[in-house]
Amino acid sequence: MRQFAMICNIEFRLFVRDFFSFFFALVFPVLMLLLFGGIFGNAPVYDGADMGIMDVTVPAYAVMVTGVTGLMSLPLTLSGYKEKKIYKRFDATPVGKKNIISAQILINFVMTLVGISILLAAGKILYHIQINGDFLSICVGIFLSIGTMFSIGFFLTAIGRDLKSTNMLCYLIYFVMLFLSGATMPDQMFSHTMKKLSSYLPMTHAVDLMQGIFSGDSLILHKRELLILGILAMVCTSVGAVLYRRKDWT
Amino acid sequence: MSQAIIGVEKLNLAYKKVPAVQDVSFSVSAGEILAVIGQNGSGKTSTVECIEGLRKPDSGLIQVFGKDPWLCRREVYKEMGVQLQETEYPLKIRVEEQCRLFASFYERPADWNLLLTQMGLEDKRKCPIPKLSGGEKQRLSILLSLMGRPKLLVLDELTTGLDPEVRQNMWISFENIRKSGVAIVMVSHYLDEVEALADKILYLEGGKQQFFGTQQEFREYVKGRVPKDEWGENFSLEKLYLMIAPKTTGLSMEGIL
Repeated sequence: MRQFAMICNIEFRLFVRDFFSFFFALVFPVLMLLLFGGIFGNAPVYDGADMGIMDVTVPAYAVMVTGVTGLMSLPLTLSGYKEKKIYKRFDATPVGKKNIISAQILINFVMTLVGISILLAAGKILYHIQINGDFLSICVGIFLSIGTMFSIGFFLTAIGRDLKSTNMLCYLIYFVMLFLSGATMPDQMFSHTMKKLSSYLPMTHAVDLMQGIFSGDSLILHKRELLILGILAMVCTSVGAVLYRRKDWT
Repeated sequence: MSQAIIGVEKLNLAYKKVPAVQDVSFSVSAGEILAVIGQNGSGKTSTVECIEGLRKPDSGLIQVFGKDPWLCRREVYKEMGVQLQETEYPLKIRVEEQCRLFASFYERPADWNLLLTQMGLEDKRKCPIPKLSGGEKQRLSILLSLMGRPKLLVLDELTTGLDPEVRQNMWISFENIRKSGVAIVMVSHYLDEVEALADKILYLEGGKQQFFGTQQEFREYVKGRVPKDEWGENFSLEKLYLMIAPKTTGLSMEGIL
């Protein structure tokens, strides 16, 4: 336990020192919030609507945070450590690589929660956003979104030949999902084709789930999203684990 | 008779059906230094990685402290320190953080503050490891191998990248470590280093074991393989090795000019 705590301590420091992870998980979503909040404020989504623009934007940005850590930070860390044989060095100690991989997942998970919390606090303080969902449902939505994004990221690491190709895959998937899922741009602006394409993206379902739950929907209303995200998380994790193990560690 | 720390019998390992190590057998006792020598690609690193439990042999028996290092890696590493042929570190990690991290892995870690001073890395404590020079990284790698106060050290290319003065100091240090009863396996291309330190030599070529024995026995082994008129009793180990090692061709000026 003492060893694991020390690994987490070091991995936390490394996360914070990594400009990309730190900025895009903790700072960028708030900047986006300030930018669009400055333009639209928390005006109703449409005339007479109960929900404001910021009320639906904040949960979508929360999914964006899960994308940064799950599709960029975590897979690139896993792939980089593997390619540089840093895991191999850990395997040559009494601790082994499983502990460091677990610590990396935990730190990315915690930092995602921190990023989402900062975002929610900023939304609440600056734009008085409504959070109508109950605590448990919100936790389910957040955890499932994180789980799915992390699983996809892990899968990308497992199929990437090396750091360079994993990097390319992660960037591609992340930005496609970011712009076409409704996480940054409202999908009402999309053409029919874009909407169709968007419906195939896991992040779209995470955004729909989070926006629904934050607005007060019960989980039952979103069983389709829950099912899709849950199955995807399980498939990506299990297939990823098999492929990842097959990779030459040495 | 001192206690055997490593016992290897008929070790075989292949990569995608290409044999890398074939029927290699040797042993190392407490307080003994074994040098593994041979050309590039002769199977030295593959052999030591099997001892380190980082590669699973296809066949053969390996015992380290009486245990199978592949199956009992975590147990074995409580008493074994290693320096891998190449080690990289996370991009932004600092020297003292890496030391503190590795120290936390052991019940009774070495005094790494003292080791940093002895290794000439005291003023690099706050320095990100990727910014260290090659020699400094090598010294850090050696320091980390000593972190668990090991009874067995496996050092793959111990002094590569070190300047002559530091190399000499390392030799003295490892001689002292050996005297304390630690068994050492070192892979080296520096035959002067092997001559100065090694009790026994394991010589590999093309993955096959050519020789295993003491330095004196190696001398006899070479003597039996070279013409009498080419033999000299005072030849250095390097000279002996060059007499029997497979010949490689140098660059011809034709190809360059």
